[in-house]
Amino acid sequence: MQRIACNEREDWQATAAASGFDFHTIDGARYWDERAFYAFTLAEIEDTIEGPTGEIDAMCLELCARVVEDERHLKRLRIPEAFWPLIRDSWRRDEGSLYGRLDLSYGGSGPAKLLEYNADTPTSIFEAAVFQWTWLEQGMERRLLAAGADQFNSLHERLIEAWKKFGTGKHLHLAGMLESPEDTTTLAYLEDTAKQASLETTLLDIESIGWREDSGFVDLDERTIALAFKLYPWEWMFHDAFGERLAEASTRWIEPPWKALLSNKGMLALLWEMFPGHPNLLPAFFEDEPNAVRLGASFVRKPLLSREGASIAIVRHGTVVAEQQGPYGAEGFIRQALAPLPNFAGQYPVLGSWLVDHVPCGLSIREDTTPITGNMSRFLPHAIL
Amino acid sequence: MKRSRRVILTMMGSGTIGAISMGFVKRPNCGPGFVREAGSNLDGRPITTCRPAAYGGFGRWPHHLHGHGHGHGGG
Repeated sequence: MQRIACNEREDWQATAAASGFDFHTIDGARYWDERAFYAFTLAEIEDTIEGPTGEIDAMCLELCARVVEDERHLKRLRIPEAFWPLIRDSWRRDEGSLYGRLDLSYGGSGPAKLLEYNADTPTSIFEAAVFQWTWLEQGMERRLLAAGADQFNSLHERLIEAWKKFGTGKHLHLAGMLESPEDTTTLAYLEDTAKQASLETTLLDIESIGWREDSGFVDLDERTIALAFKLYPWEWMFHDAFGERLAEASTRWIEPPWKALLSNKGMLALLWEMFPGHPNLLPAFFEDEPNAVRLGASFVRKPLLSREGASIAIVRHGTVVAEQQGPYGAEGFIRQALAPLPNFAGQYPVLGSWLVDHVPCGLSIREDTTPITGNMSRFLPHAIL
Repeated sequence: MKRSRRVILTMMGSGTIGAISMGFVKRPNCGPGFVREAGSNLDGRPITTCRPAAYGGFGRWPHHLHGHGHGHGGG
């Protein structure tokens, strides 16, 4: 694994605009950054990222099977009891997952370590699937990259195939917070892939979902919502006014309710408990349980529920050495063993390893000048050389 | 992983996003809080009635937390 400085394409902003990627620069700061890229060998991709990603996903599924049947674990995850049946039923019905992203710490040696699983509402799928592929193709055409370079990326075609499993010809609603350009682009991209799988689609704001006593959730056009992709976290749905309607509605949600178990950072502690010593896991414990002291005075403190690195602190020898402010933490915290991110030229990259329909099939990289990846961390492309 | 792969977008790009983000489904003409429903009256003739539906039951919780940020990459 190397970080290689390279020339930008002169017209990358225009290319981004033409493909609908309109948040490449946020508040004047780069989000998409192709002044450098990360290079991997094929063996690194296959042995260190792709293989372990599949293995971690398999462990996660085993974890879900155990947790849904064990109220003690559901309590430890602070899942509201009112939603246990919803989660349990979705698991027992084997409701399908479209996608997810593991965040991994890896710097070119040793096993990749799982930092967290973005299991419910991962974003950056468009730039991972499409725009970094465009970068690779144009980079080789323009001799910015070595001929024959490749990329760990079959996200686009995997998404189309995965949608077909949800039902070609069905009507899919895609809902999210459309005031956010990133969310809208993510939804529009997923809608595009769903259409290519011959699903009919409607895109709407999450606030435009309605409720009728006689037909359940409806859109603004009076149509019953039978199949819905939501870019809106389960824990927020649980808290919203319509949360109490979820159990009585027939809507099938993507991601399914059981993914609420995996997007909860308490799963990191449960994974370590169930698979202690696994080379791709870091020791992790619930902060309010006695074994948390095993990590001593150096650890990463993460809220059970948080987004984009918010409310996360790195504690070294009892002192907070890095912290992202945020509103999360009411449900409690976990402590995870420190796995310092690799430092390439003063930048700290986190690897995002994508799964579509449980198949590892893509890689994205966010880097920052701080060791906590946050919502302004830059997206850098990668290549296999 | 496959040099022959082709990534084709059918909708996105060149202004499509703007249309999508603004063009979500139209509001029914029954007024706020109601949805239109086709039915028939006692004579069997088709009529349209407006039945109550509640909206806005999702989407409020993040306002309790903070202004919505740059996505959901952390969960």
